[in-house]
Amino acid sequence: MKHSCKFLHSSIGKKFTVGAAGVLLCLFLVFHLSGNMLLFVGESQFNAFANTLDTNPLIPAAEIILAAIFFAHVVVSLWLRWQNKQARPVGYADYRAKGGRTAGSRTMTWTALLVLAFLIIHVKAFRFGGRDGGMYHLVLSSLSNPYMAGFYLLALAGLALHLSHGVQSAFQTFGLNHPKYMPAVKALGWAFALIICGGFAVIPIWALIKGGL
Amino acid sequence: MNEKKKLNLTLKIWRQKGPGDAGRFVECKAENISPDASFLEMLDVVNEGLVKRGEEAIAFDSDCREGICGMCSLVINGKPHGPELGTATCQLHMRTFQDGDTITVEPFRAKAFPPVKDLVVDRSAFDRIVAAGGFVSVNTGNPQDANSILIGHAVAEKAMDAAACIGCGACVAACPNASAMLFVAAKVSHLALLPQGQPERMRRVAQMRAQMDAEGFGNCSNEYACEAACPKEISVRAIARLNREYLKASLCSEE
Ligand code: SF4
Ligand code: FES
Repeated sequence: MKHSCKFLHSSIGKKFTVGAAGVLLCLFLVFHLSGNMLLFVGESQFNAFANTLDTNPLIPAAEIILAAIFFAHVVVSLWLRWQNKQARPVGYADYRAKGGRTAGSRTMTWTALLVLAFLIIHVKAFRFGGRDGGMYHLVLSSLSNPYMAGFYLLALAGLALHLSHGVQSAFQTFGLNHPKYMPAVKALGWAFALIICGGFAVIPIWALIKGGL
Repeated sequence: MNEKKKLNLTLKIWRQKGPGDAGRFVECKAENISPDASFLEMLDVVNEGLVKRGEEAIAFDSDCREGICGMCSLVINGKPHGPELGTATCQLHMRTFQDGDTITVEPFRAKAFPPVKDLVVDRSAFDRIVAAGGFVSVNTGNPQDANSILIGHAVAEKAMDAAACIGCGACVAACPNASAMLFVAAKVSHLALLPQGQPERMRRVAQMRAQMDAEGFGNCSNEYACEAACPKEISVRAIARLNREYLKASLCSEE
């Protein structure tokens, strides 16, 4: 116990936590997107699926676990970030990286905040909102609003950027960096980001078109 | 003789009387600088001028001036060790600059590298990290035969690549989080890869990690700015190894 606490408390251990939670959140994204694809199978199938989730007694437990993972990812990241701010009390007048940093790595905090703002709106509307006309109807009616759809697309672009750094970063943190495979891992990070976020992005676009934009 | 055109430059240089002083940028001229001079030689010329005028010389660190000791530092135009890759400040030639340029010169900035004076910062945090475990304990006695411990060529090369770290601290200076992971990774790697490093392998990584955190360095967020700024081009793969080594030591060490 003492040993695992020491590990989790260390700089490297905290990064492990963020990385591991990030990987689990990625898995969740895969499940979430697969479920969403039922939208294109048909209204009744999608509503039935949403209904199963709503009535399954295991779902609240799963939600609590998911929230805990998310919470760990966010809180430990903030903790690391706070320590990192302390580590350079006087900043540079002129600072330019000689290389290494990417658009994704530079914007991690901003994309994180964007995704967080998105999640608050998204969870409020789709998890705690009323679904009188059925889930299918709720998706269509909220996302055919151009502002809402635009915000969803923006948040998804932010998430893609976040993942473009996050996925390969998790590999590095777990100690998995090998000259033979790292280029593939970096490409995989981007591919995963584009497939997942592209997949989700289809939904607001579809809702806009269906909503008669 | 074909005289190369001398450079006239403006320096925006960080002056700080001591640890308690707030510090500020001061502009000064560097005139008649040979393009073949190194950056530190240029500062020598400037200092000679200052001393002649009865002003205090700019304090900066240097020793070997050939890229092997790790004493030189400086953030030049926003980049640790200046614009060239794989080059320490002492090896940076003035021909990389244009006549009339304004050059910003700052010290390495990190809480764990407290300012001493002007461009000099105290990098003894690195010494304490090495003292915490960056060594091998060997019994003295007769030297053994040179080839009695066999090491594969590829492994020896990797260990040597890591051992090339000169402990300058540019990785910390370049890191947006002021993390010392590349330095610690280099030191842990070079001993972890060699047979001589095995007996203390787990204790070493655990103690060096603990000292690194205690010194107040930031946490690595895999930005890889360190690798690009490192004059010895230490690869961030060393950091992955450090992560592995530390995980293994945390899981398996019986201490
Ligand atoms: S890893 Fe590179 S930048 Fe860091 S201390 Fe060693 S030589 Fe300097
Ligand atoms: S002065 Fe020794 S490395 Fe630059």
